[in-house]
Amino acid sequence: MYLTKEEERIYDGERGWTNQMCMRILVRLGELFNAAKLVRISSAHVSGVSYKTLGDAPAEFLEALANAGGNVKVRATLNPQSLDTEYLGRKLEQSLREKQSNILKQFERMGFTESLTCTPYYLKKPKSDSHLAWAESSAVVYANSVIGAWTNREGGPSALAAAIIGKTPDYGIHKPENRQPKALVTVDTALKNPTEFGALGIYLGRLLRDGIPAIQGLGDTSENCLKQLSAALASTGMVNMFHFKRKSQAKTERLEKVCVEARDIKNTVESLSTREVSKPDLVFIGCPHCSLGEIKKIALLMKDKKVKKETEFWVCTSHYIKEKAGEYVVQIEKNGGHVLAGVCTIVSWTEKLGIRTIMTNSAKTAYYAPTMNKAEVTFRPLKECLTTALRG
Amino acid sequence: MPNRTLKGRVVVEGHCKARALVSAKPISFLGGVDPATGKIIEKDHDLCGESVKGKILCFPHGHGSTVGSYVLYSLSKRRLAPKAIINQTADPVVVVGAIIANIPMMDQVDISEIKTGDLIEVDGREGVVRIVAKGEG
Repeated sequence: MYLTKEEERIYDGERGWTNQMCMRILVRLGELFNAAKLVRISSAHVSGVSYKTLGDAPAEFLEALANAGGNVKVRATLNPQSLDTEYLGRKLEQSLREKQSNILKQFERMGFTESLTCTPYYLKKPKSDSHLAWAESSAVVYANSVIGAWTNREGGPSALAAAIIGKTPDYGIHKPENRQPKALVTVDTALKNPTEFGALGIYLGRLLRDGIPAIQGLGDTSENCLKQLSAALASTGMVNMFHFKRKSQAKTERLEKVCVEARDIKNTVESLSTREVSKPDLVFIGCPHCSLGEIKKIALLMKDKKVKKETEFWVCTSHYIKEKAGEYVVQIEKNGGHVLAGVCTIVSWTEKLGIRTIMTNSAKTAYYAPTMNKAEVTFRPLKECLTTALRG
Repeated sequence: MPNRTLKGRVVVEGHCKARALVSAKPISFLGGVDPATGKIIEKDHDLCGESVKGKILCFPHGHGSTVGSYVLYSLSKRRLAPKAIINQTADPVVVVGAIIANIPMMDQVDISEIKTGDLIEVDGREGVVRIVAKGEG
Protein backbone atom coordinates (compact mmCIF):
# COMPACT_ATOMS: atom_id res chain seq x y z
CA MET A 1 0.00 0.00 0.00
CA TYR A 2 1.36 3.41 -0.98
CA LEU A 3 1.75 5.92 1.85
CA THR A 4 2.74 9.58 1.48
CA LYS A 5 5.73 10.87 3.47
CA GLU A 6 3.39 12.38 6.06
CA GLU A 7 1.32 9.19 6.33
CA GLU A 8 4.54 7.25 6.90
CA ARG A 9 5.55 9.62 9.69
CA ILE A 10 2.19 9.09 11.37
CA TYR A 11 2.56 5.30 10.90
CA ASP A 12 6.01 5.42 12.51
CA GLY A 13 4.67 7.28 15.53
CA GLU A 14 6.11 10.74 14.90
CA ARG A 15 2.67 12.30 15.42
CA GLY A 16 1.86 10.57 18.71
CA TRP A 17 0.34 7.29 19.86
CA THR A 18 -3.30 7.98 18.95
CA ASN A 19 -2.49 8.94 15.36
CA GLN A 20 -0.14 5.97 15.02
CA MET A 21 -2.78 3.57 16.35
CA CYS A 22 -5.43 4.94 13.98
CA MET A 23 -3.06 4.89 10.99
CA ARG A 24 -2.12 1.28 11.75
CA ILE A 25 -5.83 0.34 11.76
CA LEU A 26 -6.43 2.00 8.38
CA VAL A 27 -3.29 0.60 6.74
CA ARG A 28 -3.90 -2.96 7.95
CA LEU A 29 -7.54 -2.87 6.83
CA GLY A 30 -6.40 -1.42 3.51
CA GLU A 31 -3.92 -4.27 3.07
CA LEU A 32 -6.61 -6.79 3.96
CA PHE A 33 -8.86 -5.47 1.17
CA ASN A 34 -6.06 -4.72 -1.33
CA ALA A 35 -6.36 -0.91 -1.23
CA ALA A 36 -3.57 0.85 -3.14
CA LYS A 37 -3.71 4.05 -1.05
CA LEU A 38 -5.72 6.13 1.41
CA VAL A 39 -8.32 8.69 0.22
CA ARG A 40 -9.35 11.91 1.92
CA ILE A 41 -12.83 11.89 3.44
CA SER A 42 -15.15 14.84 4.02
CA SER A 43 -16.80 13.31 7.09
CA ALA A 44 -16.86 10.30 9.39
CA HIS A 45 -19.83 8.86 11.24
CA VAL A 46 -19.13 6.54 14.17
CA SER A 47 -21.40 3.78 15.45
CA GLY A 48 -20.99 2.13 18.84
CA VAL A 49 -22.11 4.92 21.16
CA SER A 50 -24.78 3.21 23.26
CA TYR A 51 -23.51 1.87 26.59
CA LYS A 52 -26.08 -0.91 26.31
CA THR A 53 -24.42 -2.41 23.23
CA LEU A 54 -20.84 -1.35 24.03
CA GLY A 55 -20.47 -2.42 27.62
CA ASP A 56 -17.37 -1.29 29.52
CA ALA A 57 -14.56 -2.33 27.18
CA PRO A 58 -14.70 0.47 24.58
CA ALA A 59 -14.86 3.28 27.13
CA GLU A 60 -11.33 2.36 28.24
CA PHE A 61 -10.00 2.49 24.70
CA LEU A 62 -11.77 5.78 23.93
CA GLU A 63 -10.39 7.28 27.12
CA ALA A 64 -6.86 6.16 26.24
CA LEU A 65 -7.16 7.76 22.80
CA ALA A 66 -8.52 11.00 24.25
CA ASN A 67 -5.85 11.06 26.99
CA ALA A 68 -3.15 10.74 24.34
CA GLY A 69 -4.51 13.84 22.61
CA GLY A 70 -6.68 12.21 19.93
CA ASN A 71 -8.52 14.77 17.84
CA VAL A 72 -10.72 14.43 14.77
CA LYS A 73 -9.45 15.87 11.47
CA VAL A 74 -12.83 16.05 9.71
CA ARG A 75 -16.46 16.57 10.63
CA ALA A 76 -17.25 13.53 12.76
CA THR A 77 -20.72 12.61 13.93
CA LEU A 78 -22.03 10.00 16.40
CA ASN A 79 -24.82 7.41 16.35
CA PRO A 80 -27.63 7.57 18.95
CA GLN A 81 -27.09 6.68 22.61
CA SER A 82 -29.03 4.36 24.94
CA LEU A 83 -31.02 7.00 26.85
CA ASP A 84 -31.89 10.68 26.91
CA THR A 85 -31.49 12.77 30.03
CA GLU A 86 -35.00 14.20 29.86
CA TYR A 87 -37.21 11.10 29.76
CA LEU A 88 -35.62 7.64 29.69
CA GLY A 89 -32.66 8.69 31.84
CA ARG A 90 -35.00 9.54 34.71
CA LYS A 91 -36.55 6.07 34.65
CA LEU A 92 -33.21 4.22 34.77
CA GLU A 93 -30.58 3.72 37.45
CA GLN A 94 -27.90 6.37 37.91
CA SER A 95 -24.99 4.04 37.10
CA LEU A 96 -26.29 3.56 33.56
CA ARG A 97 -26.61 7.31 33.07
CA GLU A 98 -23.07 7.85 34.33
CA LYS A 99 -21.51 5.17 32.16
CA GLN A 100 -23.33 6.41 29.08
CA SER A 101 -22.31 9.97 29.83
CA ASN A 102 -18.66 8.94 30.26
CA ILE A 103 -18.64 7.42 26.76
CA LEU A 104 -20.01 10.65 25.30
CA LYS A 105 -17.45 12.67 27.25
CA GLN A 106 -14.55 10.78 25.65
CA PHE A 107 -15.95 11.35 22.14
CA GLU A 108 -16.48 15.02 22.95
CA ARG A 109 -12.88 15.39 24.15
CA MET A 110 -11.74 14.19 20.72
CA GLY A 111 -13.85 16.78 18.93
CA PHE A 112 -16.83 14.71 17.83
CA THR A 113 -20.07 16.56 17.09
CA GLU A 114 -22.68 15.40 19.61
CA SER A 115 -25.08 14.65 16.78
CA LEU A 116 -26.38 11.41 18.32
CA THR A 117 -28.35 10.36 15.29
CA CYS A 118 -28.50 7.59 12.69
CA THR A 119 -29.51 10.19 10.06
CA PRO A 120 -26.47 12.53 10.04
CA TYR A 121 -27.44 13.58 6.50
CA TYR A 122 -30.32 15.67 7.95
CA LEU A 123 -27.77 17.74 9.90
CA LYS A 124 -25.41 18.32 7.01
CA LYS A 125 -25.96 16.64 3.67
CA PRO A 126 -22.67 15.36 2.18
CA LYS A 127 -21.82 16.48 -1.33
CA SER A 128 -22.53 14.04 -4.12
CA ASP A 129 -19.31 12.19 -5.12
CA SER A 130 -17.58 12.96 -1.81
CA HIS A 131 -15.76 10.15 0.03
CA LEU A 132 -16.97 9.36 3.56
CA ALA A 133 -16.21 6.83 6.30
CA TRP A 134 -19.62 6.12 7.81
CA ALA A 135 -20.46 3.23 10.09
CA GLU A 136 -24.25 3.27 10.53
CA SER A 137 -25.43 0.76 7.92
CA SER A 138 -28.76 2.49 7.14
CA ALA A 139 -26.94 5.80 6.60
CA VAL A 140 -24.27 4.08 4.47
CA VAL A 141 -26.84 2.71 2.03
CA TYR A 142 -28.71 6.06 1.99
CA ALA A 143 -25.50 8.05 1.41
CA ASN A 144 -24.35 5.87 -1.50
CA SER A 145 -27.74 5.40 -3.13
CA VAL A 146 -29.74 8.57 -2.53
CA ILE A 147 -27.07 11.24 -1.94
CA GLY A 148 -24.51 9.79 -4.36
CA ALA A 149 -21.63 9.94 -1.87
CA TRP A 150 -19.07 7.12 -1.50
CA THR A 151 -18.69 5.12 1.71
CA ASN A 152 -17.96 1.54 2.68
CA ARG A 153 -19.91 0.04 5.53
CA GLU A 154 -17.39 0.85 8.25
CA GLY A 155 -17.28 -0.71 11.69
CA GLY A 156 -17.26 1.51 14.80
CA PRO A 157 -13.44 1.36 15.30
CA SER A 158 -12.54 1.85 11.62
CA ALA A 159 -14.81 4.90 11.32
CA LEU A 160 -13.21 6.25 14.50
CA ALA A 161 -9.71 5.77 13.05
CA ALA A 162 -10.81 7.45 9.80
CA ALA A 163 -12.22 10.42 11.76
CA ILE A 164 -8.87 10.95 13.50
CA ILE A 165 -6.73 10.54 10.36
CA GLY A 166 -9.22 12.19 7.97
CA LYS A 167 -8.74 9.40 5.43
CA THR A 168 -9.96 5.91 4.63
CA PRO A 169 -8.45 3.01 2.63
CA ASP A 170 -9.38 3.19 -1.07
CA TYR A 171 -11.26 -0.07 -1.66
CA GLY A 172 -14.76 -1.45 -2.13
CA ILE A 173 -17.43 1.10 -2.87
CA HIS A 174 -14.81 3.90 -3.27
CA LYS A 175 -13.96 2.31 -6.63
CA PRO A 176 -16.40 3.02 -9.50
CA GLU A 177 -16.17 -0.58 -10.76
CA ASN A 178 -17.58 -1.83 -7.45
CA ARG A 179 -20.67 0.38 -7.68
CA GLN A 180 -22.15 -1.38 -10.69
CA PRO A 181 -25.45 -3.26 -10.26
CA LYS A 182 -25.41 -7.06 -10.14
CA ALA A 183 -29.16 -7.61 -10.32
CA LEU A 184 -32.05 -5.91 -12.08
CA VAL A 185 -35.04 -5.84 -9.74
CA THR A 186 -38.49 -5.07 -11.12
CA VAL A 187 -41.07 -4.22 -8.49
CA ASP A 188 -44.30 -5.43 -10.05
CA THR A 189 -46.64 -3.87 -7.51
CA ALA A 190 -47.32 -0.31 -6.35
CA LEU A 191 -45.74 0.12 -2.91
CA LYS A 192 -48.30 1.94 -0.78
CA ASN A 193 -46.26 3.52 2.02
CA PRO A 194 -42.78 3.73 3.63
CA THR A 195 -43.56 0.55 5.59
CA GLU A 196 -43.85 -1.42 2.34
CA PHE A 197 -40.57 0.10 1.12
CA GLY A 198 -39.08 -1.31 4.32
CA ALA A 199 -40.53 -4.73 3.56
CA LEU A 200 -38.99 -4.56 0.06
CA GLY A 201 -35.60 -3.86 1.65
CA ILE A 202 -35.87 -6.84 4.01
CA TYR A 203 -36.90 -9.10 1.10
CA LEU A 204 -34.12 -7.94 -1.23
CA GLY A 205 -31.42 -8.00 1.47
CA ARG A 206 -32.16 -11.67 2.12
CA LEU A 207 -32.20 -12.49 -1.57
CA LEU A 208 -29.21 -10.48 -2.84
CA ARG A 209 -26.84 -10.58 0.17
CA ASP A 210 -24.01 -8.33 -1.17
CA GLY A 211 -25.11 -7.90 -4.79
CA ILE A 212 -26.02 -4.29 -5.68
CA PRO A 213 -29.53 -4.06 -7.17
CA ALA A 214 -30.86 -1.67 -9.83
CA ILE A 215 -34.48 -1.31 -8.80
CA GLN A 216 -37.22 -0.40 -11.29
CA GLY A 217 -40.88 0.36 -10.62
CA LEU A 218 -40.58 2.10 -7.25
CA GLY A 219 -43.09 4.82 -8.17
CA ASP A 220 -43.06 7.37 -5.34
CA THR A 221 -39.43 7.76 -4.31
CA SER A 222 -39.81 10.24 -1.46
CA GLU A 223 -36.74 10.54 0.75
CA ASN A 224 -38.66 8.92 3.59
CA CYS A 225 -39.52 5.85 1.51
CA LEU A 226 -35.89 5.54 0.35
CA LYS A 227 -34.69 5.88 3.95
CA GLN A 228 -36.88 2.95 5.03
CA LEU A 229 -35.66 0.91 2.05
CA SER A 230 -32.01 1.71 2.87
CA ALA A 231 -32.32 0.75 6.54
CA ALA A 232 -34.11 -2.52 5.81
CA LEU A 233 -31.79 -3.55 2.97
CA ALA A 234 -28.80 -3.08 5.29
CA SER A 235 -30.48 -5.13 8.05
CA THR A 236 -30.78 -8.41 6.17
CA GLY A 237 -28.09 -7.95 3.51
CA MET A 238 -24.49 -6.85 3.17
CA VAL A 239 -25.46 -4.58 0.26
CA ASN A 240 -23.89 -1.11 0.45
CA MET A 241 -26.09 0.58 -2.13
CA PHE A 242 -28.90 0.34 -4.65
CA HIS A 243 -29.69 2.15 -7.90
CA PHE A 244 -33.19 3.48 -8.52
CA LYS A 245 -32.83 6.17 -11.19
CA ARG A 246 -33.25 5.18 -14.82
CA LYS A 247 -30.13 6.96 -16.06
CA SER A 248 -27.87 4.96 -13.77
CA GLN A 249 -29.23 1.70 -15.18
CA ALA A 250 -27.61 1.81 -18.59
CA LYS A 251 -26.38 -1.75 -19.08
CA THR A 252 -29.02 -4.06 -17.73
CA GLU A 253 -29.06 -6.88 -20.29
CA ARG A 254 -26.51 -9.06 -18.57
CA LEU A 255 -27.82 -8.62 -15.02
CA GLU A 256 -29.54 -11.30 -13.02
CA LYS A 257 -33.30 -10.54 -13.18
CA VAL A 258 -35.49 -10.47 -10.09
CA CYS A 259 -39.22 -9.75 -10.07
CA VAL A 260 -40.89 -8.70 -6.82
CA GLU A 261 -44.63 -9.29 -6.73
CA ALA A 262 -47.39 -8.08 -4.42
CA ARG A 263 -47.43 -11.38 -2.51
CA ASP A 264 -43.66 -11.12 -1.79
CA ILE A 265 -44.25 -7.77 -0.10
CA LYS A 266 -47.35 -9.06 1.72
CA ASN A 267 -45.52 -12.17 2.98
CA THR A 268 -42.53 -10.09 4.13
CA VAL A 269 -44.76 -7.61 5.97
CA GLU A 270 -46.48 -10.51 7.73
CA SER A 271 -43.19 -12.24 8.57
CA LEU A 272 -41.90 -9.12 10.35
CA SER A 273 -44.65 -9.28 12.99
CA THR A 274 -43.77 -11.86 15.63
CA ARG A 275 -47.24 -11.52 17.13
CA GLU A 276 -50.40 -9.55 16.40
CA VAL A 277 -50.74 -7.32 19.45
CA SER A 278 -53.67 -4.92 19.67
CA LYS A 279 -52.46 -3.18 22.86
CA PRO A 280 -48.65 -2.92 22.62
CA ASP A 281 -46.63 -1.55 25.56
CA LEU A 282 -44.84 0.80 23.14
CA VAL A 283 -45.74 2.37 19.82
CA PHE A 284 -42.52 3.57 18.23
CA ILE A 285 -41.89 5.81 15.21
CA GLY A 286 -38.44 7.05 14.22
CA CYS A 287 -36.17 4.27 12.97
CA PRO A 288 -34.20 5.62 11.25
CA HIS A 289 -34.59 8.97 13.03
CA CYS A 290 -37.52 11.13 11.89
CA SER A 291 -37.12 14.03 9.49
CA LEU A 292 -38.82 17.35 10.15
CA GLY A 293 -41.49 16.39 7.60
CA GLU A 294 -42.29 13.14 9.39
CA ILE A 295 -42.67 14.84 12.78
CA LYS A 296 -44.97 17.41 11.22
CA LYS A 297 -47.02 14.61 9.65
CA ILE A 298 -47.33 12.77 13.00
CA ALA A 299 -48.46 15.97 14.73
CA LEU A 300 -51.05 16.67 12.02
CA LEU A 301 -52.39 13.11 12.10
CA MET A 302 -52.62 13.17 15.91
CA LYS A 303 -54.64 16.40 15.99
CA ASP A 304 -55.88 16.66 19.58
CA LYS A 305 -56.19 12.96 20.26
CA LYS A 306 -54.52 11.79 23.46
CA VAL A 307 -52.16 8.84 23.83
CA LYS A 308 -53.76 5.92 25.69
CA LYS A 309 -52.81 5.73 29.37
CA GLU A 310 -51.47 2.17 29.16
CA THR A 311 -49.34 2.89 26.04
CA GLU A 312 -45.94 4.53 25.61
CA PHE A 313 -45.70 6.53 22.38
CA TRP A 314 -42.16 7.45 21.28
CA VAL A 315 -41.01 9.49 18.31
CA CYS A 316 -37.22 9.36 17.94
CA THR A 317 -35.10 11.98 16.19
CA SER A 318 -31.93 14.03 16.58
CA HIS A 319 -31.61 17.07 18.87
CA TYR A 320 -31.16 19.17 15.73
CA ILE A 321 -34.48 18.13 14.17
CA LYS A 322 -36.33 18.20 17.50
CA GLU A 323 -35.34 21.83 17.95
CA LYS A 324 -36.48 22.70 14.43
CA ALA A 325 -39.79 20.91 14.96
CA GLY A 326 -40.66 23.07 18.01
CA GLU A 327 -44.41 23.57 17.59
CA TYR A 328 -45.03 19.98 16.42
CA VAL A 329 -43.03 18.60 19.33
CA VAL A 330 -45.13 20.66 21.74
CA GLN A 331 -48.31 19.28 20.21
CA ILE A 332 -47.15 15.63 20.31
CA GLU A 333 -45.98 15.94 23.91
CA LYS A 334 -49.09 17.86 25.04
CA ASN A 335 -51.10 14.85 23.92
CA GLY A 336 -48.99 12.39 25.88
CA GLY A 337 -46.38 11.32 23.31
CA HIS A 338 -42.61 11.62 23.83
CA VAL A 339 -40.26 13.06 21.24
CA LEU A 340 -36.93 11.52 22.30
CA ALA A 341 -33.79 13.17 20.94
CA GLY A 342 -30.48 11.38 20.42
CA VAL A 343 -31.86 7.97 21.38
CA CYS A 344 -32.47 4.75 19.47
CA THR A 345 -35.07 2.26 20.70
CA ILE A 346 -33.09 -0.76 19.49
CA VAL A 347 -30.05 0.21 21.60
CA SER A 348 -32.07 1.51 24.59
CA TRP A 349 -33.03 -0.35 27.78
CA THR A 350 -36.64 -1.17 26.85
CA GLU A 351 -36.62 -4.43 28.87
CA LYS A 352 -35.76 -2.53 32.06
CA LEU A 353 -38.77 -0.26 31.40
CA GLY A 354 -41.07 -3.30 31.25
CA ILE A 355 -41.67 -3.04 27.50
CA ARG A 356 -42.49 -6.51 26.15
CA THR A 357 -44.50 -5.64 23.03
CA ILE A 358 -43.65 -3.01 20.41
CA MET A 359 -45.66 -1.76 17.44
CA THR A 360 -43.59 0.09 14.83
CA ASN A 361 -43.69 1.28 11.22
CA SER A 362 -39.96 0.50 10.83
CA ALA A 363 -38.88 -2.72 9.14
CA LYS A 364 -35.40 -2.37 10.66
CA THR A 365 -36.78 -2.18 14.21
CA ALA A 366 -39.19 -5.04 13.48
CA TYR A 367 -36.21 -7.10 12.32
CA TYR A 368 -33.93 -6.34 15.30
CA ALA A 369 -36.26 -5.82 18.30
CA PRO A 370 -37.04 -9.51 18.93
CA THR A 371 -33.32 -10.17 19.65
CA MET A 372 -32.02 -6.73 20.71
CA ASN A 373 -35.00 -5.81 22.92
CA LYS A 374 -36.39 -9.31 23.62
CA ALA A 375 -39.77 -7.90 22.56
CA GLU A 376 -42.68 -9.15 20.48
CA VAL A 377 -43.17 -6.94 17.45
CA THR A 378 -46.20 -5.89 15.41
CA PHE A 379 -45.23 -4.22 12.11
CA ARG A 380 -47.75 -1.65 10.80
CA PRO A 381 -47.87 1.52 8.66
CA LEU A 382 -47.71 4.89 10.43
CA LYS A 383 -51.45 5.55 10.39
CA GLU A 384 -52.28 2.23 12.06
CA CYS A 385 -49.54 2.81 14.64
CA LEU A 386 -51.18 6.11 15.52
CA THR A 387 -54.69 4.61 15.67
CA THR A 388 -53.33 2.03 18.11
CA ALA A 389 -51.53 4.59 20.28
CA LEU A 390 -54.33 7.14 20.44
CA ARG A 391 -57.70 7.23 22.14
CA GLY A 392 -60.96 7.65 20.25
CA MET B 1 9.98 -35.39 15.85
CA PRO B 2 11.32 -32.39 13.93
CA ASN B 3 9.53 -29.04 14.22
CA ARG B 4 6.60 -28.63 11.88
CA THR B 5 6.59 -25.20 10.16
CA LEU B 6 3.42 -23.57 8.79
CA LYS B 7 3.55 -20.56 6.51
CA GLY B 8 1.28 -17.55 6.94
CA ARG B 9 0.91 -13.79 6.62
CA VAL B 10 1.90 -11.44 9.44
CA VAL B 11 -0.96 -9.10 10.38
CA VAL B 12 0.43 -7.72 13.64
CA GLU B 13 4.17 -8.12 14.30
CA GLY B 14 5.47 -10.01 17.33
CA HIS B 15 7.21 -13.15 18.48
CA CYS B 16 6.00 -15.54 21.15
CA LYS B 17 5.78 -19.15 22.26
CA ALA B 18 2.82 -20.67 24.13
CA ARG B 19 0.28 -23.51 24.17
CA ALA B 20 -2.35 -23.47 21.43
CA LEU B 21 -6.10 -23.25 22.00
CA VAL B 22 -7.74 -24.32 18.74
CA SER B 23 -11.31 -24.09 17.51
CA ALA B 24 -12.85 -25.05 14.19
CA LYS B 25 -15.56 -22.44 14.79
CA PRO B 26 -15.51 -18.65 14.25
CA ILE B 27 -15.42 -16.53 17.43
CA SER B 28 -17.51 -13.44 18.15
CA PHE B 29 -15.66 -11.43 20.76
CA LEU B 30 -18.70 -9.31 21.62
CA GLY B 31 -20.98 -11.62 23.58
CA GLY B 32 -18.77 -14.64 22.92
CA VAL B 33 -15.86 -13.84 25.27
CA ASP B 34 -16.30 -12.43 28.78
CA PRO B 35 -14.04 -9.35 29.07
CA ALA B 36 -13.96 -9.74 32.88
CA THR B 37 -12.67 -13.33 32.96
CA GLY B 38 -11.23 -14.06 29.51
CA LYS B 39 -13.45 -17.13 29.21
CA ILE B 40 -15.36 -18.12 26.09
CA ILE B 41 -19.02 -17.92 27.04
CA GLU B 42 -20.80 -18.48 23.74
CA LYS B 43 -23.13 -21.44 24.28
CA ASP B 44 -22.67 -24.31 21.83
CA HIS B 45 -19.11 -23.14 21.06
CA ASP B 46 -16.56 -25.95 21.13
CA LEU B 47 -14.33 -23.82 23.41
CA CYS B 48 -17.15 -22.71 25.76
CA GLY B 49 -15.74 -22.41 29.29
CA GLU B 50 -12.08 -22.24 28.14
CA SER B 51 -9.93 -19.23 29.04
CA VAL B 52 -8.05 -17.51 26.21
CA LYS B 53 -5.51 -16.01 28.65
CA GLY B 54 -1.90 -16.65 27.70
CA LYS B 55 -2.83 -19.04 24.89
CA ILE B 56 -2.14 -18.80 21.19
CA LEU B 57 -5.72 -18.67 20.03
CA CYS B 58 -6.31 -20.38 16.67
CA PHE B 59 -9.68 -20.12 14.92
CA PRO B 60 -10.90 -19.76 11.33
CA HIS B 61 -12.02 -16.09 11.55
CA GLY B 62 -14.05 -13.68 13.65
CA HIS B 63 -17.69 -12.76 13.21
CA GLY B 64 -20.30 -10.51 14.79
CA SER B 65 -20.28 -6.90 15.96
CA THR B 66 -17.32 -4.57 15.37
CA VAL B 67 -17.53 -3.74 19.09
CA GLY B 68 -15.72 -7.07 19.47
CA SER B 69 -12.44 -5.28 18.64
CA TYR B 70 -12.75 -3.29 21.88
CA VAL B 71 -13.23 -6.52 23.86
CA LEU B 72 -9.72 -7.61 22.83
CA TYR B 73 -8.37 -4.27 24.08
CA SER B 74 -10.17 -4.75 27.38
CA LEU B 75 -8.81 -8.30 27.79
CA SER B 76 -5.29 -7.05 27.18
CA LYS B 77 -5.65 -4.27 29.79
CA ARG B 78 -6.68 -6.93 32.34
CA ARG B 79 -3.86 -9.29 31.27
CA LEU B 80 -6.46 -11.80 30.10
CA ALA B 81 -5.70 -11.60 26.39
CA PRO B 82 -4.39 -14.42 24.23
CA LYS B 83 -0.61 -14.26 23.65
CA ALA B 84 -1.16 -14.39 19.89
CA ILE B 85 -3.95 -14.95 17.39
CA ILE B 86 -3.78 -17.23 14.36
CA ASN B 87 -6.60 -17.16 11.82
CA GLN B 88 -7.31 -18.91 8.58
CA THR B 89 -8.78 -15.68 7.15
CA ALA B 90 -8.36 -12.36 8.93
CA ASP B 91 -11.50 -10.24 9.21
CA PRO B 92 -11.77 -6.56 10.21
CA VAL B 93 -13.11 -7.17 13.73
CA VAL B 94 -10.19 -9.35 14.83
CA VAL B 95 -7.55 -7.38 12.90
CA VAL B 96 -8.56 -4.08 14.51
CA GLY B 97 -8.80 -5.78 17.90
CA ALA B 98 -5.29 -7.27 17.58
CA ILE B 99 -3.84 -3.89 16.53
CA ILE B 100 -5.35 -1.87 19.38
CA ALA B 101 -4.59 -4.57 21.95
CA ASN B 102 -1.10 -5.12 20.50
CA ILE B 103 -1.55 -8.87 20.15
CA PRO B 104 0.73 -10.56 17.57
CA MET B 105 -1.42 -11.95 14.80
CA MET B 106 -1.03 -14.06 11.65
CA ASP B 107 -3.50 -15.28 9.07
CA GLN B 108 -3.54 -17.56 6.01
CA VAL B 109 -2.28 -20.36 8.27
CA ASP B 110 -3.62 -23.91 7.94
CA ILE B 111 -4.86 -24.20 11.52
CA SER B 112 -6.09 -27.78 11.02
CA GLU B 113 -2.42 -28.80 11.53
CA ILE B 114 -2.46 -27.36 15.07
CA LYS B 115 -4.09 -29.14 18.02
CA THR B 116 -5.12 -27.70 21.38
CA GLY B 117 -2.25 -28.18 23.83
CA ASP B 118 0.51 -28.08 21.18
CA LEU B 119 3.42 -25.83 22.12
CA ILE B 120 3.73 -23.43 19.20
CA GLU B 121 5.88 -20.48 18.26
CA VAL B 122 4.64 -17.47 16.30
CA ASP B 123 7.54 -15.90 14.41
CA GLY B 124 6.45 -12.54 13.08
CA ARG B 125 9.79 -11.88 11.43
CA GLU B 126 9.86 -15.00 9.25
CA GLY B 127 6.08 -15.11 8.86
CA VAL B 128 5.85 -18.69 10.10
CA VAL B 129 4.25 -20.71 12.90
CA ARG B 130 6.36 -23.55 14.33
CA ILE B 131 4.87 -26.51 16.15
CA VAL B 132 7.59 -27.00 18.76
CA ALA B 133 6.03 -29.90 20.65
CA LYS B 134 2.79 -31.81 20.28
CA GLY B 135 0.42 -31.65 23.22
CA GLU B 136 -0.04 -34.66 25.46
CA GLY B 137 -3.05 -36.86 24.80
